[in-house]
Amino acid sequence: MRWDWIQNNLENIGELLAFHLYLAVVPVVLGLALALPIGFLAVRWPRLYPPMLATSGVLFSIPSLALFIILPGIIGTQILDPINIVIALTIYAGALLVRPVADGLRSVPDHVRQSATAIGYERWRQVLKVELPIALPFVFAGLRFVTVANISMVSVGALIGIGGLGELFTDGFQRNFVTPIVVGMVLSVALALIADSVIVLIQRVLTPWARAGRSS
Amino acid sequence: MIKFENVTKRYPGGTVAVDELNLTVPPGKITVFVGPSGCGKTTSLRLINRSIELTSGRILVDGRDVTSVPAVALRRGIGYVIQHGGLFPHQTVIDNVATVPYLLGWDKKKARARAHELLERVGLPASFAKRYPAQLSGGQQQRVGVARALAADPPIMLMDEPFSAVDPIVRASLQEEFLRLQQELGKTIVLVTHDIDEAIKLGDNVAVFAEGGKLAQLDSPARILANPADEFVEDLVGRDRGYRGLSFVTAHDLPVHPVPTTALGASTADARAAVRDQRWVLALDADRRPLGWLDVSQSDMDTVDTVESAALLSVGATFTGDSSMRRVLDGALASPAGYSVGVDADGAFTGAVSTAEVAQHLASQDRVSVEPL
Ligand SMILES: Nc1ncnc2c1ncn2[C@@H]1O[C@H](COP(=O)(O)OP(=O)(O)OP(=O)(O)O)[C@@H](O)[C@H]1O
Ligand SMILES: [Mg+2]
Repeated sequence: MRWDWIQNNLENIGELLAFHLYLAVVPVVLGLALALPIGFLAVRWPRLYPPMLATSGVLFSIPSLALFIILPGIIGTQILDPINIVIALTIYAGALLVRPVADGLRSVPDHVRQSATAIGYERWRQVLKVELPIALPFVFAGLRFVTVANISMVSVGALIGIGGLGELFTDGFQRNFVTPIVVGMVLSVALALIADSVIVLIQRVLTPWARAGRSS
Repeated sequence: MIKFENVTKRYPGGTVAVDELNLTVPPGKITVFVGPSGCGKTTSLRLINRSIELTSGRILVDGRDVTSVPAVALRRGIGYVIQHGGLFPHQTVIDNVATVPYLLGWDKKKARARAHELLERVGLPASFAKRYPAQLSGGQQQRVGVARALAADPPIMLMDEPFSAVDPIVRASLQEEFLRLQQELGKTIVLVTHDIDEAIKLGDNVAVFAEGGKLAQLDSPARILANPADEFVEDLVGRDRGYRGLSFVTAHDLPVHPVPTTALGASTADARAAVRDQRWVLALDADRRPLGWLDVSQSDMDTVDTVESAALLSVGATFTGDSSMRRVLDGALASPAGYSVGVDADGAFTGAVSTAEVAQHLASQDRVSVEPL
């Protein structure tokens, strides 16, 4: 370990860390925005559920490196544009989140849905104020998994030149120099742990009721 | 008032759940839909607030065709209670109860104040307000469900098996409270159940549904028991309908007769002399109110000089002229002496009647057929 290297490159490391976070988190948010309506439709029309699951499985099975490389050809972006990583990871995140969203919505008990309608909720309000909140524990479980997965996947992008902390790995390997590799690993693990805790915290604030049944 | 006119509901797939239903639900009364599983009770109920849209015919609520009102507005004016309460698990009890006021745009403070009032009404402590539904028992959840349905004070309430998810003891007490509440509120209520006992206990009117969504009989509980319209209804009300029917026959012209009586502190020898070869003597207080039965054949009678209250056995439930024959019969069956004890309005003893005499009287009345008990 060369501590002086770390000291000299603090600024650069900070930038890579921030960029890594950006590359990991933005796709989760976008993916969730995609998964919510798709998951909702799959519950509304149950016939869509199996093909939707199959599609999301296929999408997720595409190797990330392949996707990073072929995406610019498909959508016409520059090969070195970070937008490629964002779009690719959004596809993964969306594909992974559709199922928790659908399962969450399906977990809403029938009598709850029925009584919401019978009481006089408009359709849209019922989805937003009753069904979605009750689906949240499932959605959050999905979010935790996807976020951590994304944080590690961003590094793969370093192989095509954009990888946040992953660039520390390529740098280290090329120069046969271990310090950046260790720094990159420690930071991405720390990032994953912190991101996960933040999500758990948000979940606790948003779903206090989910623990109520067990504590009594 | 709710009126079904030739209402039919055919589900996609062809099931006719409700078939040409004609029925009037009078205002301020409890009308019970009862019948075997799958005969269209829930469907009929949910047609009223358009949770399900009908296929043909029409339903009028207070003279207005329900399809002429926007569904959401219609529903907010009709209370709805469902089997498991249908409470929102992610909201506190107080917010659950305040749901309809919120939807109607009341301000939060007023809605919550109203919700607190209702919690009290249905017998839940104010400390439950902040709990989540998962932290309540089934019976408590059911009460919250009733409170929620009442929150915006709708004139009509629809209840789908509201008491069937709880155990019999809790159910009985919920039913009692429900009747008490209805006495205060006088709502127009349609209640669905598959339990004929519940229908008879709660209904001012009972609509018996038959397989295939047909109405078999609509009548008062007493008339359903006394004159089942057909074999189907007769089967549903069961072999013991004679006994159930006694709930609706009063003891007005039931003849009673005197029995030997005594008083506390009287001599046991006199009491024995009064009964001659019989066994039971009824102890009365100074105002002639029954205190209990004394068994003069007991062996320790010889050693006791006066009538003591400790030696008395309970008279059980007494009856007046307004009591039901069911109460009279229950009293006689439960009595150690085999007599049901009649009293006047002040509680003073008027006379007694035995099980056999009750049966004889009923047979002579020809009002209700009493099958062998
Ligand atoms: N959504 C639906 N689609 C198709 N058929 C339905 C639907 N809902 C109910 N049915 C059918 O309509 C008939 C009446 O059902 P309904 O739920 O009204 O009966 P019910 O009298 O309330 O029975 P239970 O006492 O079991 O609750 C049944 O044969 C049922 O299978
Ligand atoms: Mg039903």
